Amino acid sequence: MRWSWPSLAVALVVWAILPLVVSRGTADLLVFTGIYSIAGLGIGLLLGHCGIVNLAQATFYGIGAYASAYCAVNLGLPAPVGFSVGALVSMALAYVIGRPVLRLTGYFLALGTLALSAIASALFFEWDWLTGGTLGIGGIPKLGLLGFALDRPSRYYYFVWIVAFGCMIVARNLVDSRTGLMLRAMRDSSTAAASLTVDIQGLRTRIFVVCALFGSIAGSLFAHHASFVSTQSFTVERSITFLLIPVIGGATSIPGIVVGALFVTFLPELLSKLGDFHQILFGLALVAVVVALPNGVMGAVESLWIRATRRSGHGG
Amino acid sequence: MTFSLVLQAIFAGVTNGLVYALVGMGLSTIFKGSRVINAMQGEFSVIGAMTTVLLLSQMHWPYPLAIAAGALVGAMLGGAIELAFVRYMTRKNASEDSFLLLTIGLALTLSASVLFFVGRDGHLLPPLGGDGVFILFDAVIQVHALWLIAIAIAATIGLRLFFHRTTLGLSMMAASIDADGAATTGINVARMRTYTFVLGGLLGALGGILVTPLVAVDYQLGLSLTLKGFAAAVLGGLTNPLGAAVGGITLGLVESLAIVGISSSYKDVVAFSVLIVIMILMPQGILGRAGRRGG
Repeated sequence: MRWSWPSLAVALVVWAILPLVVSRGTADLLVFTGIYSIAGLGIGLLLGHCGIVNLAQATFYGIGAYASAYCAVNLGLPAPVGFSVGALVSMALAYVIGRPVLRLTGYFLALGTLALSAIASALFFEWDWLTGGTLGIGGIPKLGLLGFALDRPSRYYYFVWIVAFGCMIVARNLVDSRTGLMLRAMRDSSTAAASLTVDIQGLRTRIFVVCALFGSIAGSLFAHHASFVSTQSFTVERSITFLLIPVIGGATSIPGIVVGALFVTFLPELLSKLGDFHQILFGLALVAVVVALPNGVMGAVESLWIRATRRSGHGG
Repeated sequence: MTFSLVLQAIFAGVTNGLVYALVGMGLSTIFKGSRVINAMQGEFSVIGAMTTVLLLSQMHWPYPLAIAAGALVGAMLGGAIELAFVRYMTRKNASEDSFLLLTIGLALTLSASVLFFVGRDGHLLPPLGGDGVFILFDAVIQVHALWLIAIAIAATIGLRLFFHRTTLGLSMMAASIDADGAATTGINVARMRTYTFVLGGLLGALGGILVTPLVAVDYQLGLSLTLKGFAAAVLGGLTNPLGAAVGGITLGLVESLAIVGISSSYKDVVAFSVLIVIMILMPQGILGRAGRRGG
């Protein structure tokens, strides 16, 4: 399914007007959708192009958030420093951990990343000199851009989504590049790819590092939005939520990532009027998506599209 | 570090380890029979233990009967999930990942259901054999821990005998090793798959009921039990339920010795680090290749 220019223009106009017409609460959720899209994008790259189930994204999200919080509040440094420190630490950690852990495959790798997330969430809790433990770090300043304060959700929305679009372009170029070709070769037959001198481990590690970078950027954006970070935001459950984003939307589709991010941000909020019962419905909704739409929402839309165009005689 | 402290730690490690072992045995039984990684294995424990708690405190059932009912509910839940979801998805040739996600979704649903219907509070069961303790070289050991160890070991041996000596157990093994071959000899492969889930649910519920006198059961316990059970199963080589018993005890010992040697707050960090290292260095599990063959 390709985007034609008119539909892209309509989407752009809707995107630009959206925060101006919706309530503050909805604008806030749309900011989170943007943040989660960035974090989910990295997992989508790993899942869709390397077949890696990454259950450790909350770790890198947490590193980004704590780096921004610590640099801004405890050291009084400008925001770009926090973003850079988070990104560098996340990427370095992803590289060092990725090298050995990504040798695992299938379920073992999924469990390995889950174990990483559990270790990180325990360390975030224990290292309270750095993270503030359960009390967290508060008073993180809002961002400003060229003297323009991004202090309301409707303003921060534009900044977050422009960063998100930037990450999406990076991801898309990565997939369309030589690296993407190698990724596809590796996913379809890693033995054949290896015989054509594709460095399998190096490639997997590289995508893992990109995923960690996106996670860290999302975390820093979150810290400056929420003004407060604590261990509760970086648990294993959060890693599971991040994994759901590409799974629900469809891992190889960039619009799918946004659909997945909308699902995990808006659905709990819409259901929350039902009290504690909403979590049961959220779980059931997930089960329904997995059972009914094995390729995610965008996969289903795509196959419907192909079927529709075939039937009308325009060819698939 | 005194001798009695180490002894105490070893004892606690074996006790916790056998709980992980029961959860892990359930997980690997299900994996062996259906190639599904069951991310809701810990929820079997929570549901089983909660059922026992409620029957005991609300309905005033006798304790042994409440335990049996809790284990039965776990087993039925396992069978029901296979019939309702797994069978359908197997027929559609769903990928490994979608099974993992299905069970994650079910785990979220069940944990939220416990939160909604029972509430946030943790619940304890009375210890088996009363509150008594006895003292061995200055180490304090609860009578309940001995019961737990005895029942867990009996369950492990029982599982081995079941898979090796009974027609049903052998049929289940046959169906998992070669489904087509088993079908030609008249084994109902789909039903055997349901039974592996029943067995997995039973083992999970048993683990949950046995641990509840030591750790309060609440809606959040499932995920951590799943993680530890998963770790135990992987350490044992994943397809070997008995390996999971060895894996669980190893994990429990590493954890409790880490508490004595380092600090109680780094318990999970040490346990999961050991898990990652063992997965990388010993991909066949700690029993090696030999462990994979057994069942």
